[in-house]
Amino acid sequence: MEQPRRITDSFPRRLRRRGAGRPPGRLKDKKDKKEKDKDQDKVQVKVRDCSRSPSQHPPDPALLEMLRRFDLSWEYGPCTGITRLQRWERAQELGLSPPGPIREALLEHRDNPDVTYRWVWDGMGG
Amino acid sequence: MFSEQAAPTAQGLLAPPSAEPPTFPRVPVLGYLDCSQPFQLGERSFSRQYAHIYAVRLAGMRPGLERCARSQWGNDIVLRKLSELQAGEKCCVVGTLFKAMQLQPSILQEISEEHNLVPQPPLPKYIQPSDELILEDELQRIKLEGAIDVQRLVTGTILAVYGSEQDDGRFLVEDHCFADLPPPLPWNGPSSDRFVLLASGLGLGSVSGEALLSTQLLVDMVTGQLGAEGEQSCAAHIIRIILAGNLLSQNTQSRDTINKAKYLTKKTQAASVEAVKMLDEILLQLSTSVPVDVMPGEFDPTNYTLPQQPLHRCMLPLASAYTTLHLVTNPYQANLDGVRFLGTSGQNISDIFKYSSMDDYLEILEWTLQAGHISPTAPDTLGCYPFYKSDPFILTECPHVYFCGNAPHFQSKLLQGKEGQRVLLVTVPDFSATQTACLVNLRDLTCQPITFSGFGADNED
Repeated sequence: MEQPRRITDSFPRRLRRRGAGRPPGRLKDKKDKKEKDKDQDKVQVKVRDCSRSPSQHPPDPALLEMLRRFDLSWEYGPCTGITRLQRWERAQELGLSPPGPIREALLEHRDNPDVTYRWVWDGMGG
Repeated sequence: MFSEQAAPTAQGLLAPPSAEPPTFPRVPVLGYLDCSQPFQLGERSFSRQYAHIYAVRLAGMRPGLERCARSQWGNDIVLRKLSELQAGEKCCVVGTLFKAMQLQPSILQEISEEHNLVPQPPLPKYIQPSDELILEDELQRIKLEGAIDVQRLVTGTILAVYGSEQDDGRFLVEDHCFADLPPPLPWNGPSSDRFVLLASGLGLGSVSGEALLSTQLLVDMVTGQLGAEGEQSCAAHIIRIILAGNLLSQNTQSRDTINKAKYLTKKTQAASVEAVKMLDEILLQLSTSVPVDVMPGEFDPTNYTLPQQPLHRCMLPLASAYTTLHLVTNPYQANLDGVRFLGTSGQNISDIFKYSSMDDYLEILEWTLQAGHISPTAPDTLGCYPFYKSDPFILTECPHVYFCGNAPHFQSKLLQGKEGQRVLLVTVPDFSATQTACLVNLRDLTCQPITFSGFGADNED
């Protein structure tokens, strides 16, 4: 049996800016993405954010784990509703001395929404 | 003060007019600096929870409270977090207060249909003997009992308690302390008499027009059209007017038209439209002569949550042509001729009044200064913007004049602090009810009321 034909053979998929650059068909926004969906989303990330520099590598799981631990540490205040960088800077201003490597990692990966955005519980918004 | 200088020349009204009428130039403004940037919100995002503001408030006030605790109870006291408490050990804990009140209006109770409850009517005070105080820090909470006045304190205050944990899990308080007055500001006040007029609660747009005569008398006095040469020369020493909220009356808030059908209300105009036009004309007369600061209040057309943003200048087309009109935020802070003013339109004080046993507005005003926070009840029972970075209501510097608007009576007090702070506390009365405004003398921080009563129905004249 021949290979199943797809409609994208005749009509190639074009990048179209839709709202915040989401691919068509995704009703829920990026808040629903969990870490293990990262691989699935990487395909869409490539299509969505073509404008990003191609040399940017995805952050490794150890970094994400460190960020998650930063979110959960109670010394720096609540973590929901604000970006991790905002939380880091707030902790800095209050004199709580948050660890420096976190800020460097956040600035290095500032384009990646999994890194910068607030850590959300599964399925619920900030 | 004001009238003593004016009185001797009262005979001038009976004299024939002089060839050249005397002119009294208004005293020039030496320095004005608007310090209310923390209260101005740029882009507002409400997608945050209020946990942030409590966390920042506690983290911001904790160092000051630990310092106060050490100075009050000795340098060798043990400071503990609630998670580190040991039963029976005397220690000091810093945390946020929460008062569990049975009568506190709760939206969940109101919409709970299974109880079939009629929503509670608004009460003047919601305190009850069965209220309890709970201290919370970042992780835990504990009930407080002992030498602490449950009725007097309100939710959201940051304080330090000294005592020990009992076996039943409650904390027995032996003493408590607040953040105390913030550090003083240097005094650069003027050396000659300069007055600032504080008025609040003009109440335009109300059904009765009795207060309109008094408002017009106020405007005429300030612009120098009233009285003999003595009064006019005194009025020339008024350098600024601050209108502390409630420029519109509560009647303009009537929501009857919302429940009626559209075809019935098509031709009716909102009551606030007419009231704002009147306000515009009054402000026009004032701003041609003296700088005016207009703060919004509870019934004014701006946002409800604190800090209230300035009224928009498109509502006041006539008056906003003058640069002397300043539309400012609700907690308002400014340096006038070297004297730091800080004040609100009274929502914070009246909210504390509802949830505390304190009855006197001046006492509550002094208490907020001692507690180091303008409105501790802010997200709990008073609407507040969900700040996350810092709490702008924490008092970091001690103002020279601290006022609140829309109080039932005029009261003032000069407070002396331990570190040399001198604060003039003023409760500005509601003008539509009392026809009284306040004149603050910047030279010696004294305050006097000035009443403009017209001819009432029960007066003899």
